[in-house]
Amino acid sequence: MREQPLKEVTQLIHAIKMGLVEGSYSITNKTLDIFKYIIMSKSWQSADALMQIVRAQSRIMQAALPQETVTSNIARRILKLTREEFDLLQAKVQHFADDSQASLSLHKLVTQTSENSVSVDYSIPQQGLREALLDHLQEVETELETSSENISVQAEEHIHSSEIILTLGHSRSVENFLKRAIKKRQFLTIIVAECAPACRGHNLAATLANEKNVEIIAIPDAAIFAMMSRVNKVIIGTHSVLANGGLRAACGAYTVALAAKHYSVPVIVLAPMYKLSPLHLCEQDAFNMVGCAEDVINYDSLPARDAKVYSPKFDYVPPELVTLFISNTGGHAPSYVYRLLTELYHPEDLEL
Amino acid sequence: MPQIKKSDEKFDVVKYFLQLLEDDKDMSSGIAAIKTLLMILEKKQFGTIHILHTTMREAVAAMRKTDLSIAAIVSAGELFCRFITLSLDDKHMEECRQIMLNRGKIFLTKLLNSRQVISQQAQRFISDGCRILTHSRSRVVLNALIAASKNKKSFHVFVTQGGVGNSGEEMVQDLQAAGIDSTLILDSATGYVMESVDFVMVGAEAVVESGGIINRIGTYTMGLCAREMKKPFYVLAESFKFSRLYPLNQRDLPNEYKYSRKHLNDVSKVHPLVDYTPPAYITLLFSDLGILTPSAVSDELIKLYM
Repeated sequence: MREQPLKEVTQLIHAIKMGLVEGSYSITNKTLDIFKYIIMSKSWQSADALMQIVRAQSRIMQAALPQETVTSNIARRILKLTREEFDLLQAKVQHFADDSQASLSLHKLVTQTSENSVSVDYSIPQQGLREALLDHLQEVETELETSSENISVQAEEHIHSSEIILTLGHSRSVENFLKRAIKKRQFLTIIVAECAPACRGHNLAATLANEKNVEIIAIPDAAIFAMMSRVNKVIIGTHSVLANGGLRAACGAYTVALAAKHYSVPVIVLAPMYKLSPLHLCEQDAFNMVGCAEDVINYDSLPARDAKVYSPKFDYVPPELVTLFISNTGGHAPSYVYRLLTELYHPEDLEL
Repeated sequence: MPQIKKSDEKFDVVKYFLQLLEDDKDMSSGIAAIKTLLMILEKKQFGTIHILHTTMREAVAAMRKTDLSIAAIVSAGELFCRFITLSLDDKHMEECRQIMLNRGKIFLTKLLNSRQVISQQAQRFISDGCRILTHSRSRVVLNALIAASKNKKSFHVFVTQGGVGNSGEEMVQDLQAAGIDSTLILDSATGYVMESVDFVMVGAEAVVESGGIINRIGTYTMGLCAREMKKPFYVLAESFKFSRLYPLNQRDLPNEYKYSRKHLNDVSKVHPLVDYTPPAYITLLFSDLGILTPSAVSDELIKLYM
């Protein structure tokens, strides 16, 4: 049987496709609202039923918006939360073998006593699950709200006076991060690559230029390499972080990362936890997206008649090129991402 | 208190072990080692844990003396001994034995299933029309490739001969029997074909603590070539192959790993059988614990042996 999307889900998908809801943060927030609504609704009686609804709805969103990984990420968070709360409540009722470490490990492989300790029966109705879930959902919401703030407070640790920083395009986390740095440090120079064809770098340059005590330089993407030799640090945002620590970031990020590598400039990536996605780069077709070609060449211009025009939206940046991730919980090396992922999601939820 | 009986029946460890491998050609020596150890646990009576431990160690030592590549035997044996220590509570000896036997069976079924789990994970990485390079013969890789071909994917596999023993030829025959396009190439042609393949997929005899692997000689060369040409280098290995070694270079590898037993007295004139590929050359490791980055391997080992 094909699953039917909820009305709210259809509306959200529509809004995202029309560009009414933009940016990972608002998409995550809206998705979380939908799941909250599902949890509050009376349509489920057991943890199992709830998990099925969550899975089904997030599969629909994933199919409709393959490039927005945050929707699935938040669904995985909800699933893990459901499992944990259920286990906790069950443990109160009947004594339970300690299952604190849900993830698969060599240790568990060796110490496991019986087969059924792995699979818990989630279909038993559980009193108080709804309330407990809503309680914890509040925590997730707060984490989401404060994530940008928590990232930007780390600005002072990474940016020092009279440094030259390069960034690409316009990421909200980067904007807040840099604003914070400008307030605390003096004589900063910030170079903003415009990130054509959308040129959202212009917006960032304009907003930052309002601040005092800072020099803002906007450059075309073609000048990234030329400017890199004098840069102290590269600070960029990302669309999502993959399971191996690689990035799926705005097109141009790879150029920046390679240029930084050439001049041994550290690359710092700001990525709140909800952007961590347990996916690997293997399905090439779903990875990238081509945007509107109009921005590259006007449809009514002469070359548009014969030329083939592409405007890919993303770049894959391999983990070797990233020096440090800064998330709302602190700084992490790319090789540590797998560890964060095992803490964040349940291994059975990696496939929705 | 059960009495310490001197082996109720004569149980020849090595014979049983070799018989297992003889009966099932597809069985990994690590699995066979664990099966043998479980058999000892079942057949013999133990008065104290200490005796149990020494018996197990003796058995592992006996199996090491066979002329098989010992990497998997050592790691599986160590995992099993760890398994015994972890299952100890202050219970009666006979109770302990029952618990161990029970756990051991579950443990074994999990391990037996690991190849399937691994090939399942590898499926998404094998895309239609891709070209794969593999080194010599590995049962895990073979399993994954056959599974992909059953999923109606068509792809081409380049197989190196794999030096001594020519096991690459066997691999090609197996692949062709499964209807998979394959080409046997010389080991020295690795560099030549590298530019035309999409990724490298190899098995491993052991995965060491750094996240690097020990595998049939030539794997390191392949890793170097793949890095130079920027091709992903995937390793497929079951978790019982994770072993507690931390080699920094080729010389660090113990001689028992590198040479067959008959040459151990004088290794100056013989060729090593395995080499060590450092983690820097490995893109991802597929194991039954999941798809791991090399750094995740040491994490797993620390969690177990801490």
